[in-house]
Amino acid sequence: MAVSPLGITDSDGGAPKPRPWRRHARLLVGVAVLAVIALIAAALIPSGGGNGGTGANASKPFGVATTAHATPTKAAAARITTVFGSTIPAKDYGTKIARQEQGIDANGQLASDLSPVAPSAFAAPIAAYRHYAERWSTKLAAEVPALRAALASGDRSAAERAWGVAYSDYLHLGAVYGLLPGTIDQRIDGMPNTLPGDGSPGGPSASFSGLHRVEFGLWNGASPQSLVRWASQLQRDVVTLRRVLPTVQISPLDYATRAHEILEDAQRDLLSGTDVPWSGAGVLGTAAGLAATQEVIGTLTPVLQGRDNTLGEVQSWLLQLQGVLNRLRAAHRGTYPSLGQLTTAEREQLNGAMTGTLGALADVPGTLETTELPVIPKIPSGR
Amino acid sequence: MKPLDRRRFLASSLGALGAGGIGAAIGAGLTDGGAASPPPPSPAALAEQVNQQALSARIAFDGRYQSGILTPRQDVATFVALDSVAPNTSVLFEALQALSTEARLLTQGEAVGVQEIDDPPPDSGILGSLDSPDSLTVTIALGGSLFDGRYGLAAKRPNQLTAMPAFAHDELDAARTGGDVLVQICAGQRDTVVHTFRELMRVIDGRLVVRWTIDGFQSAQRGPSTKNNRRNLFAFRDGTSNLDVNNNALMNQLIWVQPGSGEPAWAAGGTYFIVRTIRMHVEFWDRVGMLEQEQMIGRDRVTGAPLGGTDEFQDPRYDLDPKGKRIPLDAHIRLANPRTNATAEQRILRRGYNYHRGIDAAGNLDQGLVFIAFNQDPQRQFATIQTRLDEEPMTDYITPVGGGYFFAPRGARGGSDWVGSGLSSA
Repeated sequence: MAVSPLGITDSDGGAPKPRPWRRHARLLVGVAVLAVIALIAAALIPSGGGNGGTGANASKPFGVATTAHATPTKAAAARITTVFGSTIPAKDYGTKIARQEQGIDANGQLASDLSPVAPSAFAAPIAAYRHYAERWSTKLAAEVPALRAALASGDRSAAERAWGVAYSDYLHLGAVYGLLPGTIDQRIDGMPNTLPGDGSPGGPSASFSGLHRVEFGLWNGASPQSLVRWASQLQRDVVTLRRVLPTVQISPLDYATRAHEILEDAQRDLLSGTDVPWSGAGVLGTAAGLAATQEVIGTLTPVLQGRDNTLGEVQSWLLQLQGVLNRLRAAHRGTYPSLGQLTTAEREQLNGAMTGTLGALADVPGTLETTELPVIPKIPSGR
Repeated sequence: MKPLDRRRFLASSLGALGAGGIGAAIGAGLTDGGAASPPPPSPAALAEQVNQQALSARIAFDGRYQSGILTPRQDVATFVALDSVAPNTSVLFEALQALSTEARLLTQGEAVGVQEIDDPPPDSGILGSLDSPDSLTVTIALGGSLFDGRYGLAAKRPNQLTAMPAFAHDELDAARTGGDVLVQICAGQRDTVVHTFRELMRVIDGRLVVRWTIDGFQSAQRGPSTKNNRRNLFAFRDGTSNLDVNNNALMNQLIWVQPGSGEPAWAAGGTYFIVRTIRMHVEFWDRVGMLEQEQMIGRDRVTGAPLGGTDEFQDPRYDLDPKGKRIPLDAHIRLANPRTNATAEQRILRRGYNYHRGIDAAGNLDQGLVFIAFNQDPQRQFATIQTRLDEEPMTDYITPVGGGYFFAPRGARGGSDWVGSGLSSA
């Protein structure tokens, strides 16, 4: 699960020293002001005459919901109003905010500085992303036959270009490939995890298939025609992909996490060369991952707006990374260079933009938390 | 050169500092030194004294079991995997014997000999005129590949000494995996380890060549008490549920190969030595929320206590948390050691080191863990645990890239005996 950045302590003994908030105290002040306004509003707006449930007041422009009356002694059933945009009872809001400013919640645990987002806020962004992913899978399905044809023609350069197109198409799916059912992702994008020579002397095992199987052959001197069978299998696997894609479940947590982790994967697996050891297509793959991340962030913009300064930081860094990738492509005659073709200066520009972007994206999951932090039960004492 | 003379020299030169061995070295000099009362030594002098004591601490090379297994972890280590290029079995055995002989000298400390001025010096000399033992241990182990057809040793192969299998998320680099022989060098100071590596290479020249190597270091003891385990590079305390090495019955049950267990007779008293070079994606880890980190591990990052607890050594009481409300069911500590009767016989002895080897092409720190485990039966123990960890959430943040399965035979018996001499008997 993803959670918000917390007030953390770093001393080993004695009283923990709260670390200053990483994010912006100014926002907390802003939230507190809003809370005060909400409380005033709660006092001014009539309660709705006793039968006014939450639903009755939900559509009011300054939407303070009410609940039924209760005796003041029964705190749990007391007349409570929730603060607009949150599930926190208005009467507790000031206390909660004050505690959260200390990084401690009502249970004395370290806490988030933001109130949770309603899970329903993710429905529209995820639906939009699903359409985007389906569009790219359609494009992929159209490009794999071109790869197969290029292999069959024996034209290695054409086949390498067609491979790059198909690989980029697949990586554009970004937010879904970790969620695909069964082995479909492994069949399309898997790497062999056994050593050549370990049980299969001289080559990869028979279960190694998909884009990287074609990459392995193309960049290791195999005849393009000998790889047609892998392109054919890839074609069949893409049909399966398109069939399962509409059924893939993306939870708000998955979606918020993928906003951060698509590019984490790109840095770990692509810019390092680990997952593209033969083609070196790490820049191409990173560009596809950036496109997917831009799509995720784009769909989430209405949800991120006004929650810390996460969106502003992220957008700024995504633009900088895009700028670096555009310049790299321009400097290499309109195609993304392989990792081996990057000059030291280019590599440094790319690495720098990537780490800056990841630093900003790391705040997204915590900014989009849909639940309050769980209370961890104590280990019962005594045996 | 007479090793015994060298040792005597060492004993006399360092005698005042309590160089008799580990026990004598720890805690002796400080109190004794003040017996003459007058001016207390300056802090610098005290530090120097402590340093000299540490440098003179000595651990026996010979013994029933090899050192460097149950030995408390020294601060720095180097792991060296070697491949044999020896043309035949007797040359291989000579090389292995030379390895033990040199290791015995270095671990016991020796004065650097003087040779004729126009010859290369017998010792590189980087430790000065005295090779202080500095708690040095040299542990020698054999890889499964040594038992292939080259040297006629197939019948001697310990039953479970295979190539290390690739587990679910491994990305093993052949150039950093396997090897015919593994040498683990551990000591208090980096220069001691570097010196040992250099000197050992000289005596096996042309017969055993380096396949891969990796350097390790321990985090300092930063308390709050000396009992608390040190942190790994994910900042969590590591080794909390490790085995009690002073419990002989437990060691015989879990670590040492027993006579009559179905293993070749020469393997008794040895142990399987598992090395896993595990890259830790530390920048990625540092970009993950604190609570998520703690839930992946199952412990409080500051105290090391199991979640919901206050003390590092508290029992996590999984029996009272069957649904994982306190410690998630897929938390690392819960999968690695479920603490049930059924999993008790799977436990392993860990003795890992942090590593740092610069940056990768993407500009990321290449840091991680040289995971070291000793166990009697890798199928029953290490591999079972590793398979259980296949789908832990932490797999996103680590990539095993190398290592191997090795077998550390029983200790050498002194004199001209050598580690692995059981291979040469009929």
